[in-house]
Amino acid sequence: MLTDFGIILLFILAAFAFIGIVLFVARLLRPNRPNEEKNSTYESGEEPVGNANIQFNIRYYVVALVFVLFDVELVFLFPWATVFGQVRLINETNGSWGWFALTEAFLFVGILGLGLAYVWAKGYLDWVKPQPKIPRVDTNVPADLYQRVNDKYSHSKP
Amino acid sequence: MSEFLNQFKQLTATGYLFWVLAILALLSAVWVVTARNPIHSVLALIATFFCLSGHYILLNAQFLAAVNIIVYAGAIMVLFLFTIMFLNLRREDEESKTNLTKMAAVVVGGLLMVMLITIFRAKSAQVPTFNPVSFDSRTGLVENLGSILYSDYILPFELASVLFLVAMVGAVMLGKREAGDRHF
Amino acid sequence: MFPIVLLSVFGILLLFLGFLKSRAILLPAALLFLLVSLAVNFIDWNKTYLYFNGMLLSDNLSMVFTAIVLGSAFMVVALSGSFMEDESAQPAEYYGILLFSLVGALMMIGFENLIMLFVGVEILSVAMYVLTGSDKRNLRSNEAALKYFLMGAFTTGIMLFGMALLYGATGSFTLGGIRAYAVNPQVGLSLLFYVGLLMLLIGLLFKVSAAPFHFWTPDVYDGAPTLFTAFMSTVVKTAGFAALFRLLSISFSGVYTFWWTILAIITTLTLVAGNITAVYQNSFKRMMAYSSISHAGYLLIGLAALGQQTKQAIVFYSLAYSVATIAAFGVLLLVARQRNAETITSGGSSSESFDAFNGLARQNPLLGFAMAVSMLSLAGIPLTAGFWGKFYMFSTAVERGQIWLLVVAVLMSAVGIYYYFRVIIAMYFREGATAPIRVAPFYRYVLVVATLLTIGLGIAPGLLEGLF
Repeated sequence: MLTDFGIILLFILAAFAFIGIVLFVARLLRPNRPNEEKNSTYESGEEPVGNANIQFNIRYYVVALVFVLFDVELVFLFPWATVFGQVRLINETNGSWGWFALTEAFLFVGILGLGLAYVWAKGYLDWVKPQPKIPRVDTNVPADLYQRVNDKYSHSKP
Repeated sequence: MSEFLNQFKQLTATGYLFWVLAILALLSAVWVVTARNPIHSVLALIATFFCLSGHYILLNAQFLAAVNIIVYAGAIMVLFLFTIMFLNLRREDEESKTNLTKMAAVVVGGLLMVMLITIFRAKSAQVPTFNPVSFDSRTGLVENLGSILYSDYILPFELASVLFLVAMVGAVMLGKREAGDRHF
Repeated sequence: MFPIVLLSVFGILLLFLGFLKSRAILLPAALLFLLVSLAVNFIDWNKTYLYFNGMLLSDNLSMVFTAIVLGSAFMVVALSGSFMEDESAQPAEYYGILLFSLVGALMMIGFENLIMLFVGVEILSVAMYVLTGSDKRNLRSNEAALKYFLMGAFTTGIMLFGMALLYGATGSFTLGGIRAYAVNPQVGLSLLFYVGLLMLLIGLLFKVSAAPFHFWTPDVYDGAPTLFTAFMSTVVKTAGFAALFRLLSISFSGVYTFWWTILAIITTLTLVAGNITAVYQNSFKRMMAYSSISHAGYLLIGLAALGQQTKQAIVFYSLAYSVATIAAFGVLLLVARQRNAETITSGGSSSESFDAFNGLARQNPLLGFAMAVSMLSLAGIPLTAGFWGKFYMFSTAVERGQIWLLVVAVLMSAVGIYYYFRVIIAMYFREGATAPIRVAPFYRYVLVVATLLTIGLGIAPGLLEGLF
């Protein structure tokens, strides 16, 4: 006789056991011939240079923080979803409960939505796009001269 | 010792689970403090949160357990990782803690622990124990929380959104790129 | 109740007003919003309501506290004209966050449920952390913000733990529920109750910077932009004491014998630490930080000697203290800006030291007079509001028969006179080359009103008595 959470516990245990078994079986079956190349860090075929632990830009943090806030907001919406449509509460209040609950949640989400709109409109979520500098040389040779030369000689060939 | 063993034999499955989780939580919490590599600290902290979630489930607070994993082990830990990456911690910077600081921390923490243990063991502090008659396994479910949160506690709930807004506006205001800052 | 809702809406509005091209509208808008909130506050005058299933209380006392907080905020905002000149400042955000922080302060004033207290403290604190660090180019401001944030977050944790223990002991989050438990215990009070009470007190005492939880105050007040220091030392302190008063007078009056000794010791420590250290400061701003600690001590006397007169004493003292502090910081703002401009050309002493005030009164009689009155009021000299504030506070101690507390407080006020008079001496009797400082008209009104209020309340303290 297992409770519901007993089943979940069994699931968790089974998951861990499965990982262990698979890894163990793989160890039995696979050949083991390491060399230096194989043991090095995989970096898209590049030679890895330095430490991966570099200093990040603060802008990642802003995005992460906004994410956390909306995560928390989401957590608050779970309880709301369960009580919003409860027949007992709606009957008790002659149907006004549903509207009341809807307003509550919309207010909450709305205020945070305004916050997101603010952050967005301010451009804090924009990444700085690289602005390529096109080199300019002051010269008397017109820019389309090369094109004309190419056109001229490409046709003259037999 | 034998008394302890006897007590141990009488434990139910929940009791064993409690001990296992408690020991795991303590070990991983110690690991958080002692790990040399800050990333390892974060991983250990995640392990601690999972153990605590197990405790919440044992305490019949299922929704709290889920929230603990979603918000703390998930989102907050991401923030922690980011912070570690900003700080660019190197081995050499580590010795900023003098022995005196460490001693003081140990003394304060130890005092707090002794105090809390005394409090919770005190006769007058005994909270009611498990009562099979009045026990309701559905207390911690999300529905009950919802009906309280959205009727009695509506005002603090709505004002919590103001709190989030302040945090959001403040963070982006402080984190805004100033002219002349690095680009990447 | 109404101000809380309105201020939340107005805060959001201000944030979005920041998108307009012209910055000029922000300051008048913020002032207008504060005035509207202040007016709306008095709708429920002489009535007592519990709003939202007993979450928020609105009675005359909470309305008076609300008025003090909103009035202080109004004056601080009125002094903020310099934001408009600073290119890197973000006034829309500053004003928005200030209004939001007032929401937190009002929650702390009217809370009826510990959850409300917690959310209020958090809103106020988070806003203050941000504003402390708002001067991003200034290393001291950054350091102050980080210190404040780390310690503040930690004490919030302690406070929350205290609330959890209180709930565990009493089974209630409401002030009335806790009171019922404390007054009429069935089997003796649980140890959890006492520890919870202590932790809750520690959390709040940290916010009002009472010793030994005051170590953050000098660095934070010194590092934060002066305007926000003025805001912190008035609004946060008033809200914190309103919250402490509500808690102690409603929920915990039944266990007065338990906490009054602890609070009296903390009061003594705060008075001694604040006043003695203030004497050794060379920077005016830092001196004001220690002086704010010492004033927290005077305010604590009323709580340690909780009685019939405490309510009146705390209201009067917070009002007198807020007005005088804002005037002092207002003058400091102008003087420091002038000195900064001068040091770029000539090179001289720090713009916020006592020397910056040398000879101020000759060329700028208004600034000198406003500063002198506010210093006299803070020192508690008769004919100023500060004197009556101290008088009411001390009489609460007499009422409870706590003579030794009274002796300490009187001695420390004598010490206080020394450092407050240093400023006056510097302004009136020292030689110094201060050019006349241009004072914007609105700025001038604020200083004049603050000075008049201080003197008016000093001559006729009875003006307030009929109010609540």
